[in-house]
Amino acid sequence: MTVFKAFIKIFNKNKSIIIMYSVILILFSVFNMQTSDHSMSFSAEKPNVLIINQDENIGITKDLISYLEKNSKKVKVEKDEDKINDALFYRDVNYVIYIPSGYRKDFLNHKNPKISIKSTKDYYASLAEMLLQRYLKVADTYLATIDDEESIIRYIHDTLNKNVKVEVTSKLDTGHLQKAKLYYNFMNYSVLAGSVYIICLILYSFNEEKIRKRTSISSMNSKRFNQSLLLSNGLFAILLWGFYILLSFLLLGSIMMSVHGGLLILNSFVFAFCALALSFLIGNLVHNKNAINGIVNVLALGSSFLCGAFVPIEWLPKLVLNIAHFLPSYYYIMNNELIVTTEDFSIGMLQPILVNFGIILLFSILFIMISYFVSKTHNKKD
Amino acid sequence: MFIHNFKYSLRILFKDRMLIFWTFAFPIILGTFFHMAFSDIEKNEKLDVINIAIVEDDTHKVNNIYKASFASLSDKNSKNRLFDVEYTSLKKAEQLLEDSKISGYLVFLEDVAKIFVSTNGINETIFKFVVDEIAQTETIMHNIFDTKINEYALSLEPHELEKLNSLYDDIYKEVLKMRENSTDSIQDVSSNNLSYTMIEFYTLIAMSCLYGGILSMIAINKNLPNMGSNGKRIAISPTQKFKLIFSSLLASFITQLIGVLLLFLYTIFILHVDYGSHIFYVILQAIVGSFAGLSLGLFVACVFKVSEGTKTGIVLSITMLGCFFSGMMGITMKYIIDKNLPIINIINPVNMITDGLYSLYYYDTMDRFYLNFVHLLLFSFIMIGFALVELRRQKYDSI
Repeated sequence: MTVFKAFIKIFNKNKSIIIMYSVILILFSVFNMQTSDHSMSFSAEKPNVLIINQDENIGITKDLISYLEKNSKKVKVEKDEDKINDALFYRDVNYVIYIPSGYRKDFLNHKNPKISIKSTKDYYASLAEMLLQRYLKVADTYLATIDDEESIIRYIHDTLNKNVKVEVTSKLDTGHLQKAKLYYNFMNYSVLAGSVYIICLILYSFNEEKIRKRTSISSMNSKRFNQSLLLSNGLFAILLWGFYILLSFLLLGSIMMSVHGGLLILNSFVFAFCALALSFLIGNLVHNKNAINGIVNVLALGSSFLCGAFVPIEWLPKLVLNIAHFLPSYYYIMNNELIVTTEDFSIGMLQPILVNFGIILLFSILFIMISYFVSKTHNKKD
Repeated sequence: MFIHNFKYSLRILFKDRMLIFWTFAFPIILGTFFHMAFSDIEKNEKLDVINIAIVEDDTHKVNNIYKASFASLSDKNSKNRLFDVEYTSLKKAEQLLEDSKISGYLVFLEDVAKIFVSTNGINETIFKFVVDEIAQTETIMHNIFDTKINEYALSLEPHELEKLNSLYDDIYKEVLKMRENSTDSIQDVSSNNLSYTMIEFYTLIAMSCLYGGILSMIAINKNLPNMGSNGKRIAISPTQKFKLIFSSLLASFITQLIGVLLLFLYTIFILHVDYGSHIFYVILQAIVGSFAGLSLGLFVACVFKVSEGTKTGIVLSITMLGCFFSGMMGITMKYIIDKNLPIINIINPVNMITDGLYSLYYYDTMDRFYLNFVHLLLFSFIMIGFALVELRRQKYDSI
């Protein structure tokens, strides 16, 4: 109990760190929660398009604008060139279309007027360009044979309304599962940084020379001391993990009640255990209070960046992924990816997930063994 | 005395390993992580070749127009290649879709095209888009045929009606030709410098500049009588205070500039960060940014009467909060703040540096750069002003 009380005291002094990591996690998830809602029927992706019309809003010009608006998301940007450039740079707008004055007249007179565009050159911009190009091509084709503006517009409508049927085969609620995945991937950072920082600080405080000498001459036997220290740290890790799970229920809602949710929770538990083992190792290796902060930052940020906690794993370069194989976070995040894309959980489908569990546990055992070895040699030195 | 204090300040700063880690090594390590994680993002956001399947077996026949269109869209030698098409049986296509080997497959059910995809997404949308377009080409031909046939048929004698077939062929060829060489009526006027991940590296430079505040803070602390016995001894020495403070600050400024220079060299030569073409202004921005960091450190050291650890905490928190608002933890954050709450970023020194570098990279005009530059100088002088008021005529009855 004495050990536990001391533990609580040290934790209380440093709880601001835990609060900070949790706030970052919440901010990150809320930020990413705004993605579109999922429905089981197909809905086409829509690029963000800004249209600057300098022509009169009638006839073919009006029709072009309404077609583009129907197939894209409207963005509110001040009609100031600097603001528009900023919006493009930060991908708030993927495609800006400038319709010149006199466009309609020139078009109808076969003068082939040009439309200027600004593009982010990503795939949303490509999609917007396809939309624009399609309309212009269809309009050009009809203009070649028909003179009457009204008929041209009518025929354009008739043509562009021709759509192929699309069926979505997967029964997964991809939208919500993706959000859950993002949250649990980011948890990699919060759990690692939070538990390693606090546990290292606590181990450091108990390992400080004077304190250690005092404890070793006290009446408490060292085995019990170590046991209660281990227990308190374990309890802390479980509480931290539980807190983040609770948060995930609040932020993600019903999706956490599914099999997928259950597996994500189990996966994070295995990882939390690994983080605990890693904390012990670092706590035993590092004997400088100031260094702890640096090590925690490099370790947590490093494995989060390299293993795909912040950036989707499929977007990481091959070389980085190869390095990531040496870190437990990689297997944790791979498992999250596997869990949210699996449709039915038969034994065959579960196998790769179980293998990753095994690897994370192996890492944990390795960490525990090394830290045991380190503390053994350290004690002998005394 | 000036030289003496300057020399010792430098030695003290360089010997503090933790200090050197945070101001020299940490930005470089963080930059390496950024580079590793972000180097492929923008490449991945470009449209890639999409894998699809088309079902063709005894029961499902593929319309010729579709076949021809997909052949040209999946031509390996074309630079506009969009698809990698596999012609296969229905069963195989279903399996490929389930294994996520393809984005979707096209099948003709009683001559009507239908697409099967496993989820919503950009590749799926483009696939649908192209199939739509092929279907629409058919409609165009029908429509043009309809309008032409009326005027044409009237001019024909009854025995010439078979000429209508050749009319249809003509229109078919004409429409296809128009689709392929439609005159380019779109003109791209966007800037070439659109790489938004650069913002991450700009915040990194800004962070490094402001972290320099810790250096100046520590250098000043050792001159302050309320911060330790060293400070007391220095305070009663018969040396002009101005000389002491100035030499300490100069030492910390030089240390800081070395750190920023290292970071610049690393980002330019190893990480290949693009700072645009105004390299002179970039360097100027970094020097003034470091000056702002120095003044922040001076301000914290003089105004807050707390322990050195807490002062470090204050400098770090101000810097990290500033980094957050200027996009280090998510580039869009900078844009959201700039758009909705611009006042935060107008007073945020990290953003002044980041935004200055951004405007040098992206903008053609220098107005925005100068605006940030003036703001940064203003920020520095206000900080120094506060610090000087605190430093003047200090007296202690007991300490």
